[in-house]
Amino acid sequence: MHSWETFSDLLRNRSAVAGMVLIALVLLVAVAGPGLAPYDPLKPAPLERLQGSSERHWFGTDSLGRDIFSRVIYGTRISILIGLISVSISLVPGTFLGLMAGYFGGRIDSLIMRLMDMLLAFPAILLAIFITAILEPNLTNTMIAVGIVYIPHYARIVRSSVLSLKEQLFVQAIAHLGGSHARILARHILPNAMPPIIVYATLGMGTAVLQAAALGFLGLGAQPPQPEWGAMLSEGRQYIQIAPHVAAFPGAAILVLVLGFNLFGDGLRDALDPSLRMV
Amino acid sequence: MRKPIACVFLILCLLPALSFGADAPVTGGTLIWGRGGDSVSLDLAQATDGESIKAGIQVLENLVIFGKDSMNVEPQLAESWKVSDDGRTWTFKLRRGVKFHDGYPFNAQAVYDSFARVVFKEHPYNSYGQWKYPSLSLGPVKDIKVVDDYTIALITDKPYAPLLNNLALWLCPILSPKAMADYKDKIGQHPVGTGPFKFVSWTKDDQIVLERNKDYWGEKAKVNKIILKSIPEPSARLMALQSGTVDIADDLDPDSIALVKKNQKIAIIERPSVNVGYLAFNTEKPRLKDPKVRQALSHAVDKDTLIKSIFAGLAIPAKNPFPPSIWSYNDAIKAYDYNPEKAKKLLTEAKFDFNTEIELWAMPVSRAYMPEPVKTAELIQAYFAAVGVKAKIVRHEWGAYLSKTQNGEHDMCMLGWLGGNADPDNFLYGLLSADTAKTPGAANVAIWKNAEFTDLCLKGQKTFNKADRTKIYLKAQEIFHAEAPWLPLVHSTIVRCYSKKLHDVPLRPNGLNSFQMVWKEK
Repeated sequence: MHSWETFSDLLRNRSAVAGMVLIALVLLVAVAGPGLAPYDPLKPAPLERLQGSSERHWFGTDSLGRDIFSRVIYGTRISILIGLISVSISLVPGTFLGLMAGYFGGRIDSLIMRLMDMLLAFPAILLAIFITAILEPNLTNTMIAVGIVYIPHYARIVRSSVLSLKEQLFVQAIAHLGGSHARILARHILPNAMPPIIVYATLGMGTAVLQAAALGFLGLGAQPPQPEWGAMLSEGRQYIQIAPHVAAFPGAAILVLVLGFNLFGDGLRDALDPSLRMV
Repeated sequence: MRKPIACVFLILCLLPALSFGADAPVTGGTLIWGRGGDSVSLDLAQATDGESIKAGIQVLENLVIFGKDSMNVEPQLAESWKVSDDGRTWTFKLRRGVKFHDGYPFNAQAVYDSFARVVFKEHPYNSYGQWKYPSLSLGPVKDIKVVDDYTIALITDKPYAPLLNNLALWLCPILSPKAMADYKDKIGQHPVGTGPFKFVSWTKDDQIVLERNKDYWGEKAKVNKIILKSIPEPSARLMALQSGTVDIADDLDPDSIALVKKNQKIAIIERPSVNVGYLAFNTEKPRLKDPKVRQALSHAVDKDTLIKSIFAGLAIPAKNPFPPSIWSYNDAIKAYDYNPEKAKKLLTEAKFDFNTEIELWAMPVSRAYMPEPVKTAELIQAYFAAVGVKAKIVRHEWGAYLSKTQNGEHDMCMLGWLGGNADPDNFLYGLLSADTAKTPGAANVAIWKNAEFTDLCLKGQKTFNKADRTKIYLKAQEIFHAEAPWLPLVHSTIVRCYSKKLHDVPLRPNGLNSFQMVWKEK
């Protein structure tokens, strides 16, 4: 893999650049968060509730008179964190299980993959609801739930890469030269199995943010008064006739971040997949 | 040429309808009633929730009933009644010529069966249900006597003044003895009473259909059918009312009501209710044991702002356990004013542990006394934070919420009460006495066991003279105020929003009415 070549491919891909810009924007907001927010995102001002956009409140105020602009900004951190943590939760065990299953095959493969099939048999959101309901609904458990749900996806992708990689000559050669399993897996198979995982994880960030927002919307994710975008959207639905901005701004924030990850992920796939590489 | 003639003919036909359509009541039509949830049981001796009562009272009737727009007790299936001098025997003369919906005649035996199944463990129908009220409101009834076919006597083991108001509350509606024998434990799904409407069908979580009782003993109902539809989402109920798919939408949130007021096609009735929304402090938790802490927290919340904002003005601030519309309200009590500095000072004096989070339980459902429970909780949380108290909002599904709070598992919990019978006893004894503080199943969710207060409640039940009872209850409210087992929040205004096509829509202060007189424009 030539990383410079990949990067220049990526830069030529317009949607990937758009994705990168969106993600960069959101990351910037997440880092600069408290500096940008004009108000305390948790402090109610009940007498100023449900006001539309104004100079004082760019995105208006919510049903408790909190500044929606400040809440959306603070919510950025929560959403990025949800994306990173839940993707790591699915990525690490998923990759490990996929490596084991693909490399050793036989009974280990059957055991791991049947387990993964069982998890996959549930609709993702239903499984996530089930897990948060058992664990007690809060933000940490939302990340865990969303993470667990996607483990099988990574396991499958990694396994299929490993299956083709382990038959390749360079791997066979090292095995015949007496390379240990651990060495072969860590030094030779894993790095070559990475590109599809990176693409999937990038797309997965978007999915995780969306799933967590869905759980927040259902009241199973972040608990009040946390400014999580899904929960804010859910609150706004009640005021859709009176004050549509309450739902619109957190909704738009979710859209921007998820769109960013999806565009970037698509671009990354185009760049990393030799068969789709632009000439 | 045919078309114009047809048009003229049509207009001529419509003219009479137009001329008297607006004010003369018409019979017929279907009333569609959108509400927040399904009923639990239509046998009202087995139900405590408003959604059950709302539907059940169209079908079932009592011996006595509240006035259509007031809380004065009036005759229903009993024509008259009297209390013996010792205050223990209540004799009711029953209405003659009344038939149940199944054709079975109404008489003293039917009243006996309807009461006895609830009160007597040995009655054959007793095992058919879970009776919610005997311990709370019918406890002292020890004997029931059929004097003759149309006279019945209830005998209590001690004088019990609130009984008549309790009977007006559908604690013991009169059901057909044949239906009770036939349906056994399923009577709640097949209620057969004497009311202006007959039960037709019930699709769980969807709708209940009732039809006009053509043989009703009194003034017959105007509409042919009532369909009670469950529409859980308040915004969906609002839209259904705006678009005319429902004729009535119950329990709209205050912000929607403000919107509805601008709609020319929708009518609104507002009435001060007989309810209270409160935050109960679990007095058995070490950190809330000290009355000083509870008083401090009472100073921390600005109820006026809460009402102006979340309640959109549709409430009045509460300082006592029951609203001023109920007699014996103690207006001399000075409410805890909003004073964060004082709250901090009192908490410091009481050596309150500021570092550990305290649980604030928020109801998962909205009720007339608490239309926005989670937002109200968030606001209270912020008020507590302002005086240094870290509160964590805890939510549970409604059934679990009730059973866990009645088990005393919370630190603080939000709840409310609709004192349907407009008797102070219903609030004071029912929600705050030591007798009702026994876990599990404590209606007194503050688990507040104050001997002096409980004695006053018991004394009040035995006192028939209203002036004497008033004195007792005034004193009880003073103790409540000083001890602050609750932070009383609001008495909400109840509102009924309905299409202007409906006329003569009633609204009692408890929000529960029979719709027999309601009529709908064609």
